[in-house]
Amino acid sequence: MSNNLKKDSDEAAFAKPLYVPIKRRSFFMYAGATAGATALLLSGCEDDDGGGMTTPGTVNLGSGDVGVLNYAYALEQLEAAFYAQVVATPYTGISTDERTALTAIAKHEAIHRDFFKAAIPAASAIPGLTPNFSAVNFSDRNSVLTTARTFEDLGVGAYNGAGRLIGDTMEGKNYLLLAGKIVSVEGRHAAYIRDLLTAGSFAGSDVVNAQGLDQALTPAVVLAAAQPFIRETINGSNIGS
Amino acid sequence: MNLFNIISELEKVDPEIMDRLTHRRSALTALGDISKKMALAAAPIAIGSAFNKAVGQQTLGDANAVLNYALLLERLEYDFYVQALAAPTLAATLTGADRTAITVIRDHENAHRTLLAAALGANAAPAPSRFDFGNAFATYGSFLTFAQAFEDAGVRAYKGQATNIPRTLNPTVGGNVVNVLTVALQIHSVEARHAAHVRVMRRAPAAGSQTIFPWIINGDANGAPAPVYGAGNPVATFPAEGNLSQGGIMSLATGLGATYTAEDVSAAFDEGLDNTTVVGIAGPYVRA
Repeated sequence: MSNNLKKDSDEAAFAKPLYVPIKRRSFFMYAGATAGATALLLSGCEDDDGGGMTTPGTVNLGSGDVGVLNYAYALEQLEAAFYAQVVATPYTGISTDERTALTAIAKHEAIHRDFFKAAIPAASAIPGLTPNFSAVNFSDRNSVLTTARTFEDLGVGAYNGAGRLIGDTMEGKNYLLLAGKIVSVEGRHAAYIRDLLTAGSFAGSDVVNAQGLDQALTPAVVLAAAQPFIRETINGSNIGS
Repeated sequence: MNLFNIISELEKVDPEIMDRLTHRRSALTALGDISKKMALAAAPIAIGSAFNKAVGQQTLGDANAVLNYALLLERLEYDFYVQALAAPTLAATLTGADRTAITVIRDHENAHRTLLAAALGANAAPAPSRFDFGNAFATYGSFLTFAQAFEDAGVRAYKGQATNIPRTLNPTVGGNVVNVLTVALQIHSVEARHAAHVRVMRRAPAAGSQTIFPWIINGDANGAPAPVYGAGNPVATFPAEGNLSQGGIMSLATGLGATYTAEDVSAAFDEGLDNTTVVGIAGPYVRA
């Protein structure tokens, strides 16, 4: 975390490529209003070396079905913010076809995010998270698509792994069906992005094993992989595994 | 072809099948009076219907029924790709990267049927003698259309059964304890990857650069059989792919605090499909 702060400090700013400040500014315009406002507030604080509120806090996803829903909501927030940025600052050499498809994916993820926000009781829902895409070069096709592949494959593995953690009640069955409706779309995204990176890698052996099974990942594994892209510390220890 | 042997096999899966087949059995008996040629021509359709009755019940009673249903679909998909890769009509067009991709998909379907059969053990239903896909392999385009239909239907079929699989069903398969729900979800997302890739293949210039995306927009069938994308039964649980209502929110296009197009909302969610409708789609290709 201190590394992140150092990277964002004024001292390091001159060393940054041009795309970073552009991306940060346009992110506020394109990301959801709440997330944008939070990002603005928090990044403003980070520039205050030694100021009171230097780092975003810990976000606890909770437990039970709400915990699983918040888990999905956190991942969808991350994906939605990422693709909003991709659409706002398209990478060099993006084709018309790629732009159209990535714009559609950005919409799907925004819809997923907004849906979870609406579906989870406000009192239990996690707040808007602050993404950290400092490791992504949004002007570079490979950097963008590689990150997208990570997010999509991670999303698929996360939903697959969390299905059995949802309660076996009538309500739980509805949640499971809803999660199923979303995960196959993430699978479609993953396949498309993978094919863009390497034609024919839509279900490569790095994600689909010899038994023909996609990944099923525990929340601990997923959150460890997602954490570098989120400024808040995500605590998913009560979701189950 | 031994019809009664098949029916008795079906009885093991579904004890009540004879009740449901009574009407059909008299139809089959009647067929005996007609010429042998006619009976042979008509029998495959009857068998397809018998399978519909066996695994197309309104609710699949237990986990074995769910798994046998999945097994039949995986066998169908596997055989579809085996036949496609061997089809002389596709030798000149199903080549290069496309052939490699279809081989990958075939291998996954093979792994799925093997895994499901192993999970079922002695409870596995007998495999149909063959699958007949008619003129599906006549052209590269028709092959891809069928592939899209089977993959998208497969995605819908798994999704439709996920809630019928107990969370805590953990059989030992090949020495490993597996959670059946998790395995079903793992297969489900692989089918979605297949569907997306087949759609990318259909979008390519070789197949005519159609206006088609890896995801399903507004429930458009893009030339595939309409029931693959239509509503199932009951409609409230299994809406058509063009559905905009989720989780009690009537329209995600207008109900989320931002306005989204029907195109994007429908594509953002895939829908489940009941087994009766799925077997209605797949049944005609099943032969005794």
